[in-house]
Amino acid sequence: MGIQTSDKPLLERVKESEQDKFMQASVAKAQDAQHIKREDSRALLGNWEQWRELGEQIRQRALKYLPDYLEQFSDNVEKNGGDVFFAATEKDAVDYIEKIVKETGAKRIVKSKSMVTTEIDLDKRLLAMNKGLQLMETDLAEFILQEDDWDEPTHIVFPTLHKNRDQVREIFMKLGYEGDNDPMHLARFARKFLREYFLQADLGITGCNFAVADNGMINLVTNEGNADLTMAIPKTQIVVMGMERIVPTMNDAEILDNMLCRSAVGQKLTSYVTFEKGQVAGETDGPEHFHVVIVDNNRSRALGSEFQSILQCIRCGACMNVCPVYRHIGGHGYGSIYPGPLGAVLSPILGGYQAFQELPYASSLCGACTEVCPVKIPLHKLLIEHRRIITDQRHMQHGLNNLMMEAIGIGTGFPWLFRTAVRFGHLGLKPLASKGEVHAENFIKPEGSVKGGPGLVGGWADVRDLPLPPKNKDSFRQWFAKHKANQPQPGDQKANQ
Amino acid sequence: MTIYNREAFLDRLSERLGTPRHQMDKEPFIHRNQLPEETLADLSSDELLDLAKNTSEALHVTFQVTDQTGLPAILDEYLKRIGAGQLILPTEPDQVADYQLQDWIDTVAKERTVKYWDPKADRATNLATSQDSMVAIGFGDYLLAESGTITVPTTPGQGRAFNFLPTHYLSIVKRSHILPRSTQVTKIYDDKIKSGELVTSNINYISGPSNSGDIEMVLIVGVHGPLDMTYVVVNDR
Amino acid sequence: MKVVIFSTCVVDLEFPNVGIAMTEVLERFGCDCYLPKDQICCGQPTFNSGYAKGTQRAFRNQIDALLSVDADYIVGPAGSCVAMIREFPEFMKDDPQYADKAREVAAKTFEFSQFLWRVLGVENAGAELDGRATYHRSCHMTRLLGESESPYALLAHVKGLEMIPLENAHDCCGFGGTFSAKEPEISRQMVDAKVGHIVDTGAEILISCDPGCLMNIGGRFNRLGKPIKIMHIAEVLNSNVDESRISYLKQMPV
Repeated sequence: MGIQTSDKPLLERVKESEQDKFMQASVAKAQDAQHIKREDSRALLGNWEQWRELGEQIRQRALKYLPDYLEQFSDNVEKNGGDVFFAATEKDAVDYIEKIVKETGAKRIVKSKSMVTTEIDLDKRLLAMNKGLQLMETDLAEFILQEDDWDEPTHIVFPTLHKNRDQVREIFMKLGYEGDNDPMHLARFARKFLREYFLQADLGITGCNFAVADNGMINLVTNEGNADLTMAIPKTQIVVMGMERIVPTMNDAEILDNMLCRSAVGQKLTSYVTFEKGQVAGETDGPEHFHVVIVDNNRSRALGSEFQSILQCIRCGACMNVCPVYRHIGGHGYGSIYPGPLGAVLSPILGGYQAFQELPYASSLCGACTEVCPVKIPLHKLLIEHRRIITDQRHMQHGLNNLMMEAIGIGTGFPWLFRTAVRFGHLGLKPLASKGEVHAENFIKPEGSVKGGPGLVGGWADVRDLPLPPKNKDSFRQWFAKHKANQPQPGDQKANQ
Repeated sequence: MTIYNREAFLDRLSERLGTPRHQMDKEPFIHRNQLPEETLADLSSDELLDLAKNTSEALHVTFQVTDQTGLPAILDEYLKRIGAGQLILPTEPDQVADYQLQDWIDTVAKERTVKYWDPKADRATNLATSQDSMVAIGFGDYLLAESGTITVPTTPGQGRAFNFLPTHYLSIVKRSHILPRSTQVTKIYDDKIKSGELVTSNINYISGPSNSGDIEMVLIVGVHGPLDMTYVVVNDR
Repeated sequence: MKVVIFSTCVVDLEFPNVGIAMTEVLERFGCDCYLPKDQICCGQPTFNSGYAKGTQRAFRNQIDALLSVDADYIVGPAGSCVAMIREFPEFMKDDPQYADKAREVAAKTFEFSQFLWRVLGVENAGAELDGRATYHRSCHMTRLLGESESPYALLAHVKGLEMIPLENAHDCCGFGGTFSAKEPEISRQMVDAKVGHIVDTGAEILISCDPGCLMNIGGRFNRLGKPIKIMHIAEVLNSNVDESRISYLKQMPV
């Protein structure tokens, strides 16, 4: 599907999400459950802030010397008997993988979960180019999405968060499932169905959580075991990795695995953490042919820019699990395969502002994402950076009324203008105010509240009542001036503590 | 073996970063803290065993501790619980001798089909044997106390799929091979790979049975890998 | 001790009751208060919307105004606005004229409850308020300013006040400055979730340290026709004060 999953405007997607009550309830439940699991696992580990600093340091180091580490990694993969393809664009990556598929004569491909392959739309492109080729996503969630006519994922760790068991049952019935909607029975069916497929597979495609520069191994972190079968059974393996997945050593990968597992699912380690490379002499399974495709696909736009830290991301999804906006609009609300705060920062970099300029505004800047990020990416600040570029540099239309915002900029820059606003706030908004019952006591005044208006006032008042500002004589400034006048002169007053 | 498009690609990154290539060695990388090494590092042998047991059981692992002499009985009882079906074993004569298991294997082979992951057989044969096996009994290299993890480097005699295709899985590991955390075991493997002592294409860190929460976040134990896991810790002689 | 009141634009425009209560409490604890008349706003509305250039004037004006009185401290009734002032040194670090001043202003600016508890060491402010209340912790105060203790500590000593914990207190109320007006369809769902949790507590009073959040939540309560009393923490701590109840912490918070 590529990175963009929808060309509808944000507002339309938000409205669609609000209709999907099951999705909203699932996301809320998942967020609340993960909150407990994540925080418990971090507390048990202890010294979480220092772990974050270490995680950040490892990721920053990898980025600072990215070309050197990629060079070292690729040298080592080659030494281990593998091929490495550096793909500047998604087309380069897909073309190379297509070439390998053709050369090996592969007929049945098994894939384990990989966001970057979704980003480059690999599955559908391979299937379109090769008549008779079969390809199967083997992660349970990705399998469900594929069999539901390539439905869009809603979360980078829990792609089917929006689907309920009845929907899964319906999808599986098309494949011959006859049982009930019990998740256990559904999962057992998928196991059996995919196991038969695995045993016939001749090419495996995996992602890569971390690539170890100093020994050329890749590191994968999963729970289901499908990635390990993908790496064990077929004779050929293609690893597709975003270029920033690199880490210096196995030790660094293992440290980040610990942080990834706790942040993503609240586990100390997931069921399977694997370091692997191509087959060595004497082994009978595992890939005889090992290819690594290292993908840029606009990641380099972030390098050396104010957005470089977004490449620290280890794809744990914790920022989605705490985001109050994600909680309501879900993954589909973002229109990108990378949703949530990570997606709102990364999508405009990878996919451009034209497609994703609304996303940086889909945040209340509450900072929950920044706080939870295991590698200390200042996500909410990066959202402000995007906004700055959209307004100050590109002068794009973004729904905020420029004239009004510039007026606020001026109004907050000149004291006399602001004092005028204080003086005339009551009079200025009075025409928009209407009287009504007071429900919020000590807040809405009997003389009325604003329930509608132009521009930002309207956006505000669509949802909530705005108290009518006090008359100038009742303002804090007026009170303070009178209050001070009734006190002894400042110089005379003695502190009474 | 080939590397494609590397120089242009890396030059472009270097240009974006605004720093020349090949500067990395001038700035040694020193971790800002040693928490990975220090965490749980002061546990005694008994405390490590207790922690390993608790964390493993929390992962739905059946966790047993035995002396060498008690091992056959534990394995018998395990197989009885699993029920009928083919057993697959690794071809690891040293380990079998070390755990003194040959007599037990010979006895079991009279009651059920016992097959081996065979270094001399081809891929298809070993995969088929594993797939047809109801149960695998393998050797774990280390047990990590913090996470309830057994580690298994792939060897010619115990291939990758050995750990994933059989329905039930039991891992035997030495009591003296319980380590605090993944940091310690990773250092061991890293050193051994670099020195050439360990030649393997694959190292699995396995923490309990496979699982998934992909359908409504309901935890399903047993997805693509084994449906259940048993660890047997054997006191060193 | 000389204290400059950082009144915030929201209090200046909308909530004199908050500014008055804060001043009265501070004076009760011996502060000699000043209100520089040229102060306007911390600059968040425009800066957070991306108008970085257009906000420079607001930053400079605010710094000059707050430093126009040679005070020991600057105290504001809004966690979010104070957090913004604390970020000034980062924003102005390349401004040769203002870098030093930004550091100076940031170093002595405190949120009201934080100032009472951490700087003055107030344990019991002497207030009394009969009722059941819940507290909304604002995102910027907890996460950006890093203050999550002082309001709870002070509210715990208000006589007659029963504090009821708020479910999902860590979730944003949907204010987010211009976000609330630019993305009302998202903001509404967020504030409704917050209103729901507040209603679930059975509290009659909603207390916060951030007038922005209170404006959002209170406005939504009124729109939905649900009863609530909105109080800034300064108003609570200024209620029915009996000075004999005032006590100070034996050990200052770290």
